[in-house]
Amino acid sequence: MKSSFIALSVAIIATVSIVGMKKPDYVKHAMQTFSPSSEEERTPLSSQLAQQQPALRTDSEKAPVFQEIKRPAQPVIDTVVTAATASVVDESALRYFASRGDTARLQAEISRLKALYPDWVPPKDPLAVPQNEDKQLETMWQLYSQARYAEVHKAIAERQASEPAWKPPADLIDRLTVAEARTRLINASDLKQYETVVRIGSETPSLLTCSEVDVLWRVAEAFFRTDKAQRATDAYTYILNNCQNAAERLATIQKAAAILPAKSIEDLLSKEKTAPDGTMEFDSIRDDLARRFIAEANGDGKIVVPPQYISRLERLAETGGLASDALLLGWYYLPRGDMEAAEKWFRKAHDKEDTASASQGLALALIDRNDQLAAEDTMYRWRDDSKDAKAVYLAATANLLALDPPVSITAEVLKRIAAEVIKSRDAVTAQQFGWYARALNQPQTALQWFKTALGWKLDDEPSAYGLAVTYLQLEDMKGLAEIQRLWAGRSERIARVGEVEEAPKTTEKRLPLPKETVVARRQPRTAAVTEEAGYDQATEVVVTRPRRTVTVSRGCKSTVNPQTLAPEAALTRGWCLMELNRPMEAAAAFEVGMLGSSAKTREDSAYGQSLAYLRAGLASKAAVSAIKAPQNRKRAFELQQAILADKAVAAFDAGRSREALLVLDQLKQLGPERTDLLSLRGYAYLRLKRYADARRVFEALASIGNRDGQRGLGILYQIFNDKD
Amino acid sequence: MTGKLLAALLAGIFSFCLINTPAAAQQPLIAAEAWQAYKDKFLDPGGRIIDDANGNISHSEGQGYGLLLSVLAGSPADFELIWAFTRTELLLRNDGLAAWKWNPGTKPHVTDINNATDGDILIAYALGLAGQQWRRQDYIAAGSNIARAILEKTVIQHAGRTLLLPGAAGFSAADRQDGPVINPSYWIFEAFPVLDRLAPSPDWAKLRDDGIVIIRDLRFGPRQLPSDWVSLTSPPGPAAGFPAEFGYNALRIPLYLVRGEVTDREFLARLMRATSGATGTVTTIDILSGTTKDNLSDPGYRIVNHILACVMDKTPLPADVKLFTPTRYYPSTLHLLGLSFVAAKQPECL
Repeated sequence: MKSSFIALSVAIIATVSIVGMKKPDYVKHAMQTFSPSSEEERTPLSSQLAQQQPALRTDSEKAPVFQEIKRPAQPVIDTVVTAATASVVDESALRYFASRGDTARLQAEISRLKALYPDWVPPKDPLAVPQNEDKQLETMWQLYSQARYAEVHKAIAERQASEPAWKPPADLIDRLTVAEARTRLINASDLKQYETVVRIGSETPSLLTCSEVDVLWRVAEAFFRTDKAQRATDAYTYILNNCQNAAERLATIQKAAAILPAKSIEDLLSKEKTAPDGTMEFDSIRDDLARRFIAEANGDGKIVVPPQYISRLERLAETGGLASDALLLGWYYLPRGDMEAAEKWFRKAHDKEDTASASQGLALALIDRNDQLAAEDTMYRWRDDSKDAKAVYLAATANLLALDPPVSITAEVLKRIAAEVIKSRDAVTAQQFGWYARALNQPQTALQWFKTALGWKLDDEPSAYGLAVTYLQLEDMKGLAEIQRLWAGRSERIARVGEVEEAPKTTEKRLPLPKETVVARRQPRTAAVTEEAGYDQATEVVVTRPRRTVTVSRGCKSTVNPQTLAPEAALTRGWCLMELNRPMEAAAAFEVGMLGSSAKTREDSAYGQSLAYLRAGLASKAAVSAIKAPQNRKRAFELQQAILADKAVAAFDAGRSREALLVLDQLKQLGPERTDLLSLRGYAYLRLKRYADARRVFEALASIGNRDGQRGLGILYQIFNDKD
Repeated sequence: MTGKLLAALLAGIFSFCLINTPAAAQQPLIAAEAWQAYKDKFLDPGGRIIDDANGNISHSEGQGYGLLLSVLAGSPADFELIWAFTRTELLLRNDGLAAWKWNPGTKPHVTDINNATDGDILIAYALGLAGQQWRRQDYIAAGSNIARAILEKTVIQHAGRTLLLPGAAGFSAADRQDGPVINPSYWIFEAFPVLDRLAPSPDWAKLRDDGIVIIRDLRFGPRQLPSDWVSLTSPPGPAAGFPAEFGYNALRIPLYLVRGEVTDREFLARLMRATSGATGTVTTIDILSGTTKDNLSDPGYRIVNHILACVMDKTPLPADVKLFTPTRYYPSTLHLLGLSFVAAKQPECL
């Protein structure tokens, strides 16, 4: 008993603890060092409490301090207690435990009494110690041993009423007080009343022993929950420094790890013992610790996990083969931006066991490295698993449709994406469907998607813009006017759609968002839209679309894989497709043409592909194509101009006005600036708040009666008037 | 210190003088047989008072009543028993108030950590009385802690008045749209002077004075009665989410008034008239219609109006009300509280 008493105490306990209790020597000693006077030991419990109550309140507001109390070399005997009680060592507990044959408690009681009264000689045969002759006291001990503490109080009070001179054994009161404090502490802890837990722990230092390690754990947690993490660490440290039970030591680390940060756990682990055979006592839980720390760090990229735990888990994931370990690592690396590692571990987890979490992580990594097709495919079957899963899936679909450079999407995939977008009413992907349809030169389908996106998200300006440029393309001026009316004052670029009459064909056909996706060799389009999105109409559009080109049919309407054609045939097909306004298919055909044996075929093919990409709004790709084969001066000049003009518009539309100006400057080197590009320059200055430059440009335009010039001046006027 | 405290208590204007004199201490106000019968029926050997009409649960109110009755019965051993249970099982909240409900069928037994202020008041009040009666400083100290917590957590100022919130959380104007909400039957007037000695504050006297006025002025419906739960928005009315009734809570109001030495005859007469059933029963009342909900013939309920008749007109208690036979926890508790009052203050009615 003595050895198991903790030398752990709480600073304030010393002055406020239950007085009148007998304590093991060194605890008492420790407390005396804080007590104003050992006289208190003799005063009755009730008046002690009354005097101390105010002190208790004040003190309990301070953070109790765990501190180790060194065991004195020699037991220090409290002279007051010894003098008062040496002649009558209270053996009632001894008798009681003996009578019940409870040898463990009996032995503990002998140790306790020996510590208290060094002169006391324990009975030779404790089991032969006669039962308490005091039957009432016997009953009290019995109630105590059955944890019926309230009834012990009652029995004491009853006896005191009938025998006013009788005093209960101090030992009984001592034990009763501690036992009740223990019950209260556990009750309060179960009810998450952590301040009460700390208070009771502070008031009852004799509870804080290795024999009550559960209480120590609860007090430690209560410290943590009342924002005293250091005290919690102290408490766990105390256990590891003083308590020997192996299972409890292990559990201490586990409990600490559940609440304390990894750094504190590292400190606690330094208390680890090594067995004679060299095994480390906490080895068995290090794997779990690694998992726990990394799991904790998953939600917060700022948490630092000691590297040895990461490498431990990596080793485990490599060799142990638990999908969950690999998954933990994936989610650990993801928020830390190490996408390569994240993908590696997600893939490992995914290959081992395809779960929603593994797929989600993998898809995020794939999206990050722009493999949208794979991301879509990975997430498809898990898309309904959770809100997050759905969001990841739709991110993949939107990105997929917006991809540049283009990838091939099968009809089946397009169909299932469309179905999901309709189901989820996802305006973002719907809008991308719109641009995608435009890229494939299916303006009617594009209209449907832009309208659908706008229906789900009324303020989706890019969709409205898409609608506007598509109306323009279809020469539906009524539709254009309507959308411009609806967005008047809300979007400058929508207002400007259709104003630049003399814009080159390439600019007109350009897709407004530079990151647009285009498909190189595409599948029949009919499957890509569902009924809900008005797919029926879209299908009709596909059927009726050739009406504008029906007279120009040169035998390229059917879908042919250009790879199967000879370069010269592919070149011819390319021009044919250009006439049908199917620039992406044309580009693919020209690609084959560039394999041609004659320089002329290669030059023409490169030129054709450049034009095709320009028409599809892919200026950067057009530029690449232009240099695939040497061009004659005139063509090179023409291409260069078209490409730059396109780039300027694209940069402006993407909000990169500085870049637009840069490109316009380059363009100026090639010849006089066209009025539409001059007006673009004016608006770019306007956006950059270079008002003087803007005014100069707009004035020049206005002087030749250009509407943009007049409008620009109007805007400037407003700006400066507002400023006044 | 004890002597001084006792003297101050005796001198207190509001002092409830039933048990402060040595003579009273020697002659319990609850007869030994009655107390024994009550204990046999409602006191668990482990120290909890059992509410046998509510699934045998216990609550802070019941523990408070048990402690108070132990003092009135002059039984320090029973007090010690009930207090040990209360302290260990209910007095667990961080703020020092008691969890209100203890259920034998659940683990942990406390399923709702909220307090009920009347339970806290009863416990602190009984601790104060017992501490003086039996010179137990530990009781005084524990009672002081609870009284301070009551002041701190449940006594508020609202519209120029001092109010008692039924719980530390959930009843204030910030917590409810129709807040503050009060329960007039939580004003245990006799307790306030004792709580003032435990945790001196001018708020206790204000709580008494304002409480009397507030409850007197709550005249809802055709019968001009307060409801169990009252919203003190302007104008006051039955609180939302509770039955609009003068119910089982409110029917102890007259008992608390007379035990707290409130003598406003018009006020007491109105309460008595409004709740007197045709056959000598006490009735609970639907506030809005004024109609009777329950006719209560249990002597524990009936004693309330008989005490009013005794106080106002010296009308003796009927024989079956004078006699205590335990029925259910709640009426039987009121019965003993009523009988002890008559024994101390109106012995001529017995």
